Amino acid sequence: MKKSYLLFAIVVIASMVLAACAAPTAAPTQAPVVEPTKAPVVEPTKAPEPTAAPVEPTEAPEPTASLRIWADEQRAPVLNELAAKFKETYNMDLVVENVSTIRDSFITAAPAGEGPDIIIVPHDQAAQLVASGLVAPLDLGEKEADFSPSALKAFTYDGKLYGMPYATENLGFFYNKELVETVPTTWQEVYDISKQLIADGKVKYGMVLAGTSYDAYPWMTSQGGYVFGRNAAGDYDPTDLGIGKEGMIKFATMAKQWVDDGVLSDNLDNTTAKSMFLNGEVAFLMNGPWELNNLRTANAPYAIAAFPDGGVPFMGVQGFLVNSFSKNVLLAQTFLTEFIATEETMLALEKADPRVPAYLPALAKLDDPDLIKIAEAGKDAQPMPAIPEMGKVWTAWGDALTFVFKGEKTPEDAYTFAAAAIAEAIAADTKGMVNVPGSWQAAGTAGACEDWKPECPASALTEQDGKFVGTFTIPAGDYEVKVALDGGWAVNYGVDGKADGDNYKFTVPADGEVTFTFDPESKLLDIKLP
Amino acid sequence: MTETKLQPEAKFVQKTLGGLSSLITLIIVILVDLGLGWFTYRLLQLGYYPLSIVFIIIILFLTFVFLSPKAKPLRWMAIGISALILFSIFPIFYTVYNAFTNYGDKHFITKTQAIEKIQEQKYLPTEGKTYTWIAYQSSDKSHYLLFLKDQAGTTYLMTQTEGDKGGQAIDLVTGQNGIGELDADGSPKTIEGYTKMNKLLAAVDKALPTIKFGPEERTIQISSPNTAAELLPQFNYDAATNTFTDAENGTVYRDVNGTYSGPGGKELIPGYIANIGLENFNKFVTSPGLRGPLVTIIIWNFVFAFLSVFLTFSLGLAISILYGDPSFKGKKILRTLLLIPYTIPSLITILIWRGMFNPQLGIINRIITDVFNVAEGPDWFLDATLARIAILVVNLWLGYPYFMLVTSGALQSIPGDIYEAAEVDGASPWKRFFKITLPLLLVSVGPLLIASFIFNFNNFNLIYAFVGGGPPIPSATTQAGYTDILISYVYNLAFGSRGINYGYASAISIFVFAIVAVMSLLQFRFTNMWEEVGENV
Repeated sequence: MKKSYLLFAIVVIASMVLAACAAPTAAPTQAPVVEPTKAPVVEPTKAPEPTAAPVEPTEAPEPTASLRIWADEQRAPVLNELAAKFKETYNMDLVVENVSTIRDSFITAAPAGEGPDIIIVPHDQAAQLVASGLVAPLDLGEKEADFSPSALKAFTYDGKLYGMPYATENLGFFYNKELVETVPTTWQEVYDISKQLIADGKVKYGMVLAGTSYDAYPWMTSQGGYVFGRNAAGDYDPTDLGIGKEGMIKFATMAKQWVDDGVLSDNLDNTTAKSMFLNGEVAFLMNGPWELNNLRTANAPYAIAAFPDGGVPFMGVQGFLVNSFSKNVLLAQTFLTEFIATEETMLALEKADPRVPAYLPALAKLDDPDLIKIAEAGKDAQPMPAIPEMGKVWTAWGDALTFVFKGEKTPEDAYTFAAAAIAEAIAADTKGMVNVPGSWQAAGTAGACEDWKPECPASALTEQDGKFVGTFTIPAGDYEVKVALDGGWAVNYGVDGKADGDNYKFTVPADGEVTFTFDPESKLLDIKLP
Repeated sequence: MTETKLQPEAKFVQKTLGGLSSLITLIIVILVDLGLGWFTYRLLQLGYYPLSIVFIIIILFLTFVFLSPKAKPLRWMAIGISALILFSIFPIFYTVYNAFTNYGDKHFITKTQAIEKIQEQKYLPTEGKTYTWIAYQSSDKSHYLLFLKDQAGTTYLMTQTEGDKGGQAIDLVTGQNGIGELDADGSPKTIEGYTKMNKLLAAVDKALPTIKFGPEERTIQISSPNTAAELLPQFNYDAATNTFTDAENGTVYRDVNGTYSGPGGKELIPGYIANIGLENFNKFVTSPGLRGPLVTIIIWNFVFAFLSVFLTFSLGLAISILYGDPSFKGKKILRTLLLIPYTIPSLITILIWRGMFNPQLGIINRIITDVFNVAEGPDWFLDATLARIAILVVNLWLGYPYFMLVTSGALQSIPGDIYEAAEVDGASPWKRFFKITLPLLLVSVGPLLIASFIFNFNNFNLIYAFVGGGPPIPSATTQAGYTDILISYVYNLAFGSRGINYGYASAISIFVFAIVAVMSLLQFRFTNMWEEVGENV
């Protein structure tokens, strides 16, 4: 039997070796080798051939490459139509795959080398993919000027552009034009018209909400409500949470009153709300462009207006992202700038699935009256926060309205409770953080932090050999500082390592690097001046 | 002489390989090993070590089983066992392994991949220039020229940098160096020996972005479809200390739990999947999710699982007892109809029921409002008790056909003479049911009841598809609803709307696994007990 073991070993080893030898051809890491043996083929001695025919630059390349795109069910058919044209023009295949959970599938497929070259996702999902290093930066070159600056900003992270926006999405104020004669401009008018319609027996309710958070946001903002405040640079500030503040409570009190008066349906389910509007059971609904095709197919008598009392919706931006693990990064980028970023393609995309184009030449040619209204309703729209803290907001924020409608909580209780839960969830992320908040923060982090913010990650110290160290370039001046743990003031140390002690004071003589070193044993902070 | 030498070899071949069929087996084994080996090699290359170890084990196992005569009986099960290792045992170990890592947002790739990605990042030195470019390719496709235009509009033609030679700038004079007429954009229409590449052709060329052009000391690389620039690698990796140094300003980035972090919380993208010890378990134990609604959820979880089994079993049994009545007509048709819920995919059934229970549009509330003449029907989705009742109704619909099938079979096996004897003794029908039918039935159906309990204990599909665990619990600070069971609650904790964290989810699933394991243990206990009962009867 010994021989059979030998045979066994030989077979296994031989196959492994063979496999290893065969593999490199398919290995994606192998870099193409530039032959160093050949000298540059510049031969100055040879006379130029004036007869040489000009090389046709439009010559179709050999079909050596193809591009794979993942798009959702609304966009995939449109891109599939474009694929035929792409093949015709460039003799290259465009494989469009209809994937419903693009982000989640992409996360596992991309690092394994199985991902598509290009995906289409909204900008708030893109943030997560960028932070995980799965997306290649983009350079749109001179085409950059053709895109809406706010849409570009939505795909810009840390100063780099990672996506090519193609459409913006925001809610509009939809009303039934057979029932509503004069377009209301205030919520009071919406209320009065609704009352009248109900009294006339024309509708069951005046209005219905399609959701508790995003879908009600324009109403909230009209009452002064907000989710995150914005800092001077226009970025969302997770420490300024608006959920528990006055505007939000004012909205909820108003909405609850409407429900009690029978003007607003207490339904908060999205599908139900849309059906109610489609069936003419309600006259008003805040809804988005994604519903236009349905409404048109059903021949519903709808029209779109701006939000009453100057309410503003959230704006989402849909865009193309290039997989950083793709073997065709350059091709994918070229495809986007040369083929997609054209008026023709952008308008084709808009026709198939009505969205407001982010590509300005296409926007200028926009002739869909509904989309023009949607664009007007969203002209001051706030970009959907793409910061990770937003993920902790949705559930608690949305549930608050459910409790109010059910009468389980007063508007004030519901929203202050939600705000506390969200703040706690956000704080859980800064657990273990050692920070040195003080009057130096804004100056020393180039504006990434505001002064005296213990939760700001840009000024946090990092652990090195049991101590926490951070070096910052601080301009000359007098400053104060303290040590704060876990991103809050609950545990903080001042002079002599005393809990809740006095502020450290230090003077930077000339612009330079200041190193903070915190010793968790003695609780002492060492400040090394330049 | 040759014959005598050949003899033992031939014997050996005959003995170990058993002729042609063995040869075919050997070839197939080699081919399968080759395929799997190549796959394993790819996995190793990408840094998926756990999975590649499993594949090596499977390769060794399969080869051994099919080549060793000793292991011949195992051949019948070899494929099954390999699948078991791959799809059952490996996921369990992998989950445990994951529980100790930060696999999730910002950490989706392996260390090798992350280091490679960081090394790919380039920066433009302060004196560095950027250009727009057009590429030219030599006729044998081995060499390239780059036509560049800087921001001031000055144009250059650069050759490839090769080895220590360095590329060179060529004067753009028509007639020299084979340069033909210039185009409208200032680029030569022709260069002898080289062909102008259009943008797409250049983009398809995989070699182009890796080539350096121009003089050695300031090489130029193509960085995007529009730009070529004098780029330098931004981060230098030091394998000895596992740190990155920023070539631009000397900042050092240390590896902190799979993220290279510099001073002031600056982090390099991407991070990698790193071992973080017990942190996930620690996070779960100290999370507000545990303090809050967990008790409510666990109690409902048990109530839900118990009532689901009790109701489905009762209904299923009642129907099959009805069938037992000989005077019952139209049995076959009715049985077929009653089995329908079992044949439709449960997810579809759940969604249909969800539509029917819809408070505004659903048929159930339409009937209620019409029959009782009320303005509004009950709110099945927002009222805790009603939502729970609705979920039990749906589960009853989904589950009774199973017990109908099982019990009707089991009832046949109960000997009829026992009933005759009981009837003779004057036992009432109820007494007969509780004293004879049920105990005997439980002997065979008992283990199935426990299995059904465990299934419903983890019935994620139903809970998640029906109302997503809602309605929300007012006192909960985490995403939790009145119909949430443990598995759907931890799903929300780990994924929900707050990003993806596989490591954390794995840690939590180990806790859930512990609970289910205890119940499985109980199942074995009960099974033994019933067997004893069976023996006594």
